[in-house]
Amino acid sequence: MRKVSSASKTADKVFRVATGLCASSPVLFLVAIGIVVFIESVPSIKFMGWHFLTGTQWNLGDMYGNLEVKNGVSAPAGATYGALPYIVGTLASSVIALLIAVPVAIFTAIILAYRVRGPVKTVLSILVELLAGIPSVVFGLWGVIVLAPWVAQFFGPLLTHLGVVIPFFRGPVGTGMGLLSSGLILALMIVPIITATTRDLLEQVPILYREGGIGLGMTNWEVVRKICLPYVKDGLIGAVALGWGRAMGETMAVLMVSGSAINYLPHSIFSPISTMAAVIADQLDSALTDATHLAVHALAELALVLMLLTLITNFLARWLVHRGGQRVRSGVRA
Amino acid sequence: MGQSITVENLQAWYGEQLTLREISMDVDANQVTAIIGPSGCGKSTFIRCLNRLHETIPQGKVRGRVRLGTEDLYAMDPVDVRRVVGMVFQKPNPFPTMSIYENVAIGLKLGGIRNKSELLDRVEQSLRMAALWDEVKDRLHKPAVALSGGQQQRLCIARALAVEPEVLLMDEPASALDPVSTLRVEELVLQLKERYTILIVTHNMQQAARIADKTAFFLNGELIEYGDTTTMFTKPADKRTEDYITGRFG
Ligand SMILES: Nc1ncnc2c1ncn2[C@@H]1O[C@H](COP(=O)(O)OP(=O)(O)OP(=O)(O)O)[C@@H](O)[C@H]1O
Ligand SMILES: [Mg+2]
Repeated sequence: MRKVSSASKTADKVFRVATGLCASSPVLFLVAIGIVVFIESVPSIKFMGWHFLTGTQWNLGDMYGNLEVKNGVSAPAGATYGALPYIVGTLASSVIALLIAVPVAIFTAIILAYRVRGPVKTVLSILVELLAGIPSVVFGLWGVIVLAPWVAQFFGPLLTHLGVVIPFFRGPVGTGMGLLSSGLILALMIVPIITATTRDLLEQVPILYREGGIGLGMTNWEVVRKICLPYVKDGLIGAVALGWGRAMGETMAVLMVSGSAINYLPHSIFSPISTMAAVIADQLDSALTDATHLAVHALAELALVLMLLTLITNFLARWLVHRGGQRVRSGVRA
Repeated sequence: MGQSITVENLQAWYGEQLTLREISMDVDANQVTAIIGPSGCGKSTFIRCLNRLHETIPQGKVRGRVRLGTEDLYAMDPVDVRRVVGMVFQKPNPFPTMSIYENVAIGLKLGGIRNKSELLDRVEQSLRMAALWDEVKDRLHKPAVALSGGQQQRLCIARALAVEPEVLLMDEPASALDPVSTLRVEELVLQLKERYTILIVTHNMQQAARIADKTAFFLNGELIEYGDTTTMFTKPADKRTEDYITGRFG
């Protein structure tokens, strides 16, 4: 019997170890980052407790005065870290972004997947991909120069008419920098990813099922609505969760158009806001001047909350999918 | 009741490739017509022209005339055409996200029937016609994909029948089925011809002989011979037909 040379066996071992390492690297990175962020947040968690999530004041305290000790952590006098405005800002701006982006992206994806062919399809697909490639800071600049003034002078005043029924739409419109502009710019930034994912999903719907619908006398729209969208539902929710995660974590563009509100809960769609990601970027400089380092730890805790929130939304989406799947299985959908 | 179909000089293309050449044939109402011929000769393309499905694929092009009864099929709204000319595909394709009930009811709902009990009646009636009712009546709300292949195909037949078409196109409806399921589908076809005009594509010569009143033999996109099934299988007029049915090629 011929034996396989030991060299090729060694190569196989190397190959196995290498692929193992590569395969587990996402998990390793996730765990490593999670641990670092968590350890960095510990002092702030001790110092603020749950008030971190419910407080509305973010105050670094008197950095040149005395230190005070609370819960075993020393901090500049008067320091308090309440993240609620940024949690609200993050959730509100990303949800607005989703409300706008998801329908737009789904319709665009339907058109790309089924309604256009040949060169038109190629050009449109490239445009979508180009949109995804625009740097965040360019979006931000455009937001400041074009979007915010447009919101302030035209779109905002228009929306205030809805204020009669929905209090959240009541003016004043202000400078245009705020929740609405943040949501709009985030929508623009997540449309490409949701569109591209949804288009790929729709293209995978077997022609067999689509023709089954057409053959039954369904219109194109009915085929999409009754057959294609339900077929890709799981993936679609994943795509939306992906977009949501992006919108919550997006930093630069939001920082530029949000109005950078500190210690202020938005009370209308035009209010200036800040998001967790933007606050981390914005506040890091001044936080570093805190000799007790507690301000940096507080920002780390903000990052931790952001990570957790992204995870929670992701799991929430998955849970929704799962539940939806069960409903189909038990047939309640009929 | 079924409708007759009159095909005149029908041509079909995939892009530049001419796939059907000048097909002309009259299909009688309430009869079973079998379409036979070697693989790739254009059988599917032909019946897909009769419910205007061919034109939905990229590059699909049709020329010629098809009349349903007295109406010009290609002057009608394609969506209306497909409600009158139903289709059963080669591979069973029940809608995978829907229950058994929903698969049959969907066409009715789109047709504007909202009343729950009327829907249930029509669903039952269609499933009975497709000889599936007894097997699924206790699990109507279970997913359709949980059925066996043969049951799925009969579900697809029920789905097509539910909207009460006048013509039923069947593209090798039994090719993915075991002998028993095949036999059931054949029995079904014979029962259904009282109410529908049926065109059935088949690779199975015995099947054509068993169920078809008339048979059409296609070769390379041309209609070679068309006539009474018994005559065709006993005294084919064309040498090529004879070669095919005696198994000399194809
Ligand atoms: N979507 C398509 N695009 C391009 N050419 C096609 C397409 N579908 C079929 N054809 C070609 O058209 C011709 C006829 O195909 P068709 O499917 O009608 O044959 P068929 O008789 O039904 O064959 P089979 O018995 O294998 O189902 C074949 O040459 C095939 O290659
Ligand atoms: Mg075929």
